[in-house]
Amino acid sequence: MANINWRTINIDAYDPDSAFNFDLTTLTPAVQPVSTSDVQTLSGQIRQLVRGGNAEGALQGALENAPYGADEQGKSIHLSVVTEVLGQIRQAEMTPILQRLYQADGGSELCDTLMKYIYKGMGQGAPGSGAASKNITPQATGFSQAGGRNFGGEGGGQSMSVFLSWHEKLVEMVGPGSIVRVMSDRRTV
Amino acid sequence: MSQSLRPYLSCVRNTLTAALSLSNFASQASERHNVPEIEARTSPELILNPLTVSRNQEERVLIEPSVNSVRVSLKIKQADEIEHILVHKFTRFLTQRAEAFFVLRRKAVEGYDISFLITNFHTEEMLKHKLVDFIIQFMEEVDREISEMKLFLNARARFVAESFLTPFD
Repeated sequence: MANINWRTINIDAYDPDSAFNFDLTTLTPAVQPVSTSDVQTLSGQIRQLVRGGNAEGALQGALENAPYGADEQGKSIHLSVVTEVLGQIRQAEMTPILQRLYQADGGSELCDTLMKYIYKGMGQGAPGSGAASKNITPQATGFSQAGGRNFGGEGGGQSMSVFLSWHEKLVEMVGPGSIVRVMSDRRTV
Repeated sequence: MSQSLRPYLSCVRNTLTAALSLSNFASQASERHNVPEIEARTSPELILNPLTVSRNQEERVLIEPSVNSVRVSLKIKQADEIEHILVHKFTRFLTQRAEAFFVLRRKAVEGYDISFLITNFHTEEMLKHKLVDFIIQFMEEVDREISEMKLFLNARARFVAESFLTPFD
């Protein structure tokens, strides 16, 4: 106890009434817990649809059954499926597919979900989500050889441009309100 | 403008426009205080989901919105060691003069090169679309500036090497 610097203790954390301990679950709509194996089965079905050439149906299915209640692993499985589906759809087909998606029942909700996946996909590889290696090789001489930094974004540049063009088309149709809903919705994908 | 830069910038512009809807919000933790909630993090319900826009692994923008402030962090493209040094020097130069820029943060968020902090007071006294324009213009110009400096540096190095080696000719 003696070696704790008491000036750095956040006393608000110990007060149950303080705003610091606000219960976020009161803001989160109830979501049903989804097990990882269920997500895996669903992703298998979606991949089947894509292979059958029905990319639009696959996209719709993936967005309708977004696993809000899954754990991190399940969510990342679903994200990779959505990324795959988005990558399969050609540039020229994007707008008509989005239009049909948007005009269907509950379409604006699906578009918000798609927006969430676009941002989540772009957020991959950001610091904190990926393992940052120090890139230092120890040498026999006792000096450590610092390796070059990993320059030139060769990884992910292709899929990012897919996300960016989807984002552009989506914003054109649904407007900035969708982005605001992504920011404020506590149900994350 | 290159083909992949345009969707990147328009995506950042749209995201910023959506994020910059701020209102005055006094601190809930201490009376008569009014602090940017994204920095203070006194209550979790005031912080919104952070959004990342990336062009590739090396170039991205992190936008962290909250009720009365938005933090925008940029990662500038660095293709080699020289550009890394130039970006470091350039951002250091700017952040040391942060007062003159109003929205510039003195220290970048970890993993990024330069950060801006826009509060509701900024959006009250400045025009929102101009603030967005400023960030977009900054992003456009910083790349150009860095590559210009690199060319200049290389030309200078060549000249220096030439004149250094003339006596041995």
